[in-house]
Amino acid sequence: MTDKQLSPSELDQALVRDLSRLPLYSPSRVFSAAVMARVRRPQPRAVVLYRRTRAWALEPRRALVLGSAYAAVAGVALWVAVPWVFAHSPAINFIAGQVSSWFVGVVRDAALATAGWAVTSGITEFVRSLSLTGERLWMAAGTLVVGYAGCAAGLHYLLRTPRGKDVALQPSH
Amino acid sequence: MPTAKDLQSLTDQEVVVLARAGKESAYRELLRRYERPVFSLIYRMVRDRELAEDLSQETFVKVLNALESYRPEYKFSSWIFKIANNAAIDQLRRREIDTLSLDGAPGARTAEQVEATALQAVDRGESALEEMEARELGTAIEQAIGRLRPEYRACILLRHVEGRSYEEIAEALDLPLGTVKTYIHRARHELREYLGPLKA
Repeated sequence: MTDKQLSPSELDQALVRDLSRLPLYSPSRVFSAAVMARVRRPQPRAVVLYRRTRAWALEPRRALVLGSAYAAVAGVALWVAVPWVFAHSPAINFIAGQVSSWFVGVVRDAALATAGWAVTSGITEFVRSLSLTGERLWMAAGTLVVGYAGCAAGLHYLLRTPRGKDVALQPSH
Repeated sequence: MPTAKDLQSLTDQEVVVLARAGKESAYRELLRRYERPVFSLIYRMVRDRELAEDLSQETFVKVLNALESYRPEYKFSSWIFKIANNAAIDQLRRREIDTLSLDGAPGARTAEQVEATALQAVDRGESALEEMEARELGTAIEQAIGRLRPEYRACILLRHVEGRSYEEIAEALDLPLGTVKTYIHRARHELREYLGPLKA
């Protein structure tokens, strides 16, 4: 503004300088939040497939057709399965008995192995040596409860903190 | 997971890779880097703050939702400025705004509308006299830019306000390099003419 009798090249230089000094404008403070609310971030394919399928199936007519088809298939299956079960009940009972006795055996073996380990490893002596009685027992229980509550509170705080809030919004001019 | 500080040291391409992997902080970093340049470009093109904010938002939503289609051999800035410029030009064509007033959007009828849509000069922390002069000159330049053809305006803003290279501008505006240089030359010539009486 104060330049006097400038030559064309000087005018050009001054113009370029003045242009480069023009400020950048800031959008409103809610701008980035508004943009982020409309941005679809990429997700795992399984999630995408599940959501698409769910959205497809939630359309009322499709839901009705799917529900009817499911009921029909279930009806047919029962119509076939129930007579089959009655016809083969002795064999089914026999197999179920075999499976349950095998399962009980496995559980019993595991319990015996754990008890044997507890006795031979010396852990029982260790627990006895702590002499957790009276006040000490209460203190140990209290410490455990406080520690557990602290962890739970920390986890709760971690999970309720909005993600991606680590970048401060640009101050608006 | 990279922190906001880590992200600041990465190139646009590297941030885009992280954003493609679904990192929200990478999206925010791209927004942080380009919200002011993109908003300023659009605002100076359409001269309406509310409209500029809408168009900027559309630009970012379009860009961030289409990161999968971004080709890293091109500059990210060129891509985003291309979309921003197209949004502004489309809007100008739709409204047939060619010459714009600094004193508010062309649609502004009342004093409140004029005030709400006028470009605001920014305080750069100078002395009162310097600030007044800078403000006056800034206003004159903004007015002169507003009188340019939209194509010239986009070129001159990208070159001298945003500081982009000729090649980047050519890429962003889908114009041959020679045309960009011509537009900038003509735009500067027109600006000199508009501002001549002030400078003399």
